[in-house]
Amino acid sequence: MTGAIDGHLRDITRRTALGALGTGIIGATVASWPRLSGTDIPGRGDNSLSIAIMGTAADAAARQRAIDTFTRLHPEIRVKVQAIQAVDWKDFFTKILTMVAAGTPPDVVYVATEGAQLFAEKLAHPLDEYIRRDAADMREFFDDVHPSLVEAFMYKGSLYQLPMDWNAANMYYNTAAFAQAGLDRPADDWTHIDFRNSLAAMRKARTSDFTPYYWTNRLFGGVVPWLYANDTSFLKETRSAGGDWLWDGFYANDPSRSLRSGGYQWLEPNANDDRVFESFDYLRGLVKDGLGVRPEEGGGSSLVGLFASNRIGTTPAGGYWVQGLHEAGMGANDFDVQFFPRWKTQRHQFGTAGYAIMKTAKDKDAAWEWIKFSSSREAMALIFPSPITTPARRSMVNEQLYAGKGPAHWKVFYDTLDRFPTTGPIPAPPQQAAVETALMKNVSLAVSGDEQQLKQALASMQRDLELALRRQS
Amino acid sequence: MSTTTPPRERPRRAAGRASTTTARTHAASGTSGASGAGGRTTGARHNQRWLAWIFLAPTILGMGLFTLVPIVASVVLAFFRWDIISAPTFVGFDNFSEVVQDPTVRVSFLNTIVFVVVAVALQLGLALALAVMVQEKMPAWLRVFFRSAFFFPLILSAASVSIFMRYLFNEQFGVVNWFLSLVGIPAVPWLTTPGGSAAVVILVYVWQNFGFSFLLFIGGLASIPVETYEAAAIDGATAAIDGATGWRKHLHVTLPLLSPTTLVASVMAIISALQVFDQPYVLTRGGPGDSTRTAVMVIFESAFQRLEFGQASAIGVLLTLIIMAITAAQFRLSKRFVFYQ
Repeated sequence: MTGAIDGHLRDITRRTALGALGTGIIGATVASWPRLSGTDIPGRGDNSLSIAIMGTAADAAARQRAIDTFTRLHPEIRVKVQAIQAVDWKDFFTKILTMVAAGTPPDVVYVATEGAQLFAEKLAHPLDEYIRRDAADMREFFDDVHPSLVEAFMYKGSLYQLPMDWNAANMYYNTAAFAQAGLDRPADDWTHIDFRNSLAAMRKARTSDFTPYYWTNRLFGGVVPWLYANDTSFLKETRSAGGDWLWDGFYANDPSRSLRSGGYQWLEPNANDDRVFESFDYLRGLVKDGLGVRPEEGGGSSLVGLFASNRIGTTPAGGYWVQGLHEAGMGANDFDVQFFPRWKTQRHQFGTAGYAIMKTAKDKDAAWEWIKFSSSREAMALIFPSPITTPARRSMVNEQLYAGKGPAHWKVFYDTLDRFPTTGPIPAPPQQAAVETALMKNVSLAVSGDEQQLKQALASMQRDLELALRRQS
Repeated sequence: MSTTTPPRERPRRAAGRASTTTARTHAASGTSGASGAGGRTTGARHNQRWLAWIFLAPTILGMGLFTLVPIVASVVLAFFRWDIISAPTFVGFDNFSEVVQDPTVRVSFLNTIVFVVVAVALQLGLALALAVMVQEKMPAWLRVFFRSAFFFPLILSAASVSIFMRYLFNEQFGVVNWFLSLVGIPAVPWLTTPGGSAAVVILVYVWQNFGFSFLLFIGGLASIPVETYEAAAIDGATAAIDGATGWRKHLHVTLPLLSPTTLVASVMAIISALQVFDQPYVLTRGGPGDSTRTAVMVIFESAFQRLEFGQASAIGVLLTLIIMAITAAQFRLSKRFVFYQ
């Protein structure tokens, strides 16, 4: 102690100081006990229906109006939405599984195509009994929703989710870049050759600081749309039997009824298929000639800014991009969207999402009521007031949703399903995470080198996929 | 080198002498440890022992709960197949044989070893060079500035830094390639080729971590007595030491006397580098191909993406054994290369 220290301070003994510290620790522990014990987790410790969505607290708050409306209709059911931040769907599912392991699973989870079969196989409860029971209420929903979206949630003949929103891999293009290159709006049935010619024209018009075709290495919008257009995929696609109860009950008169099944199956790798090689070789050519980028791994979050600053000519994306481009300053006519280019077919890739009831849900009936309510037009209008995604209901993809934001040809979004009913979901078996890793790790190498490197990358992909599908099978 | 007792052992001896003295005093006063003044002393010691345990308890509890239990659990789990959802199944050594045969695991371990060799060499080399420069050539205020500046990257989140670096090294729109274009160098595909991505991962890792080694070296340099350099000069080594560049002085005096610090810095740098995850995961996701996939990334992917917790634990056990072997080898070799004053 120095003489400068106040006399009162000198009176504080070490024992007093330690006592104060101990009291402080105990006080802090008591004060933060709800956090330490996890009782402040939404839905924990009471009978609330706990709903997990991917997003931020703001996303959870955005659902509050829907929750309020639901609570008015069902005052006996308390709902709590838990927003879980994640880099992508794979990351989100990992966090849900961690909650399951920790013994605190949510009752209902918003699951995208990427995880639909994982949940159906291990975690989710089928909706069949509820849909049959409330068939009269559900008819209006199915009339408004394309069967392709519903089929994406069929697994071994049972339906596990109702599609709420979805996105196809359409081709966005920068209208200024097209005009600068002397290009008109591409035809609805433009081919991969037309697409390449458009890229070459844009490259000729702007030689630097511009990328005619930007794409990222991921399951949605990466190489898969090109594989689908070329009537192939990196996994062999088959269908399981069953599901007639649904198709005959709700889609008996649909022109595509004969196409429907008990759900998709991806049981074998297909990376050694000639058309897979052909599709990769096409992309390799784009990279080699400076028309497209070598794809980086990860999401496309940086893309919006780059596209909005006119540095990208074209890129594949879904309806979810519209709001982002609008917020980035793009006018309604600064960009537009067209179907993905045709090759052997014009089959597109899509992804959809909806609520799944967990097997462990405390009150499955209440969970179903939430799902049924969420599928109503009223609830969907509350949840999707702006074009942050493409609503699953056809009637909601309308002029009003895109007014003042564009694109001019917004009809392309839902027409992708209506005009191309064979359009299929993201290839996502229950082993999706391992399959996606196997795909992504080999794509960059496949399109970035010579033909020999491409062959090696595809052989490596075939091996990795075999291993991925064999595991956990 | 000095043959005097290493300073770290002095307190122990002093303590030993003190307790011997206390014992003698007790014997001389004829008191036993059970009564009188001796009794009070023993009681006080007893109390102090309890107090020591009370103070140590949180650390011991924390270590037990968050270090020992997970270690034991992961070793046990390595012998089971478990996907979180279903009940674990005992599979013996299957997980070990599967991961050893898995080409991705093998490549990731090889990548990790290459990464450790290159990154640690760069990290220690850079840290040492900068520490010598800062310690010798800088005025005091600038020294303080550089100490802070070099340490600063270490306190940043590795994930945030890596996201930032992703933008910097983007082939089309990155600032790095923009600078290169100013001097006529064409765009480098940093993150989309095996060589480029490995280089960026190492660069980012070293930039973020060399500050720690730098501070260790600064401390080590400060502990070298000036007299040692003066003695070397008096011994007639002036000509050899004060050469044209002065590097011989560091070779013959600084480096040997800094060897204990170098040992600590290298052990910590190697252990840290063997566990590298954030930078390659965020920058490249392990790609392209498996070119930047590391051992810890494979553990993460096995456990949290593929839900193969048994295999992930098996890889973790193998990695731990490798870290232990390397560290043991370092300490063994240190007997030949480390000099204490």
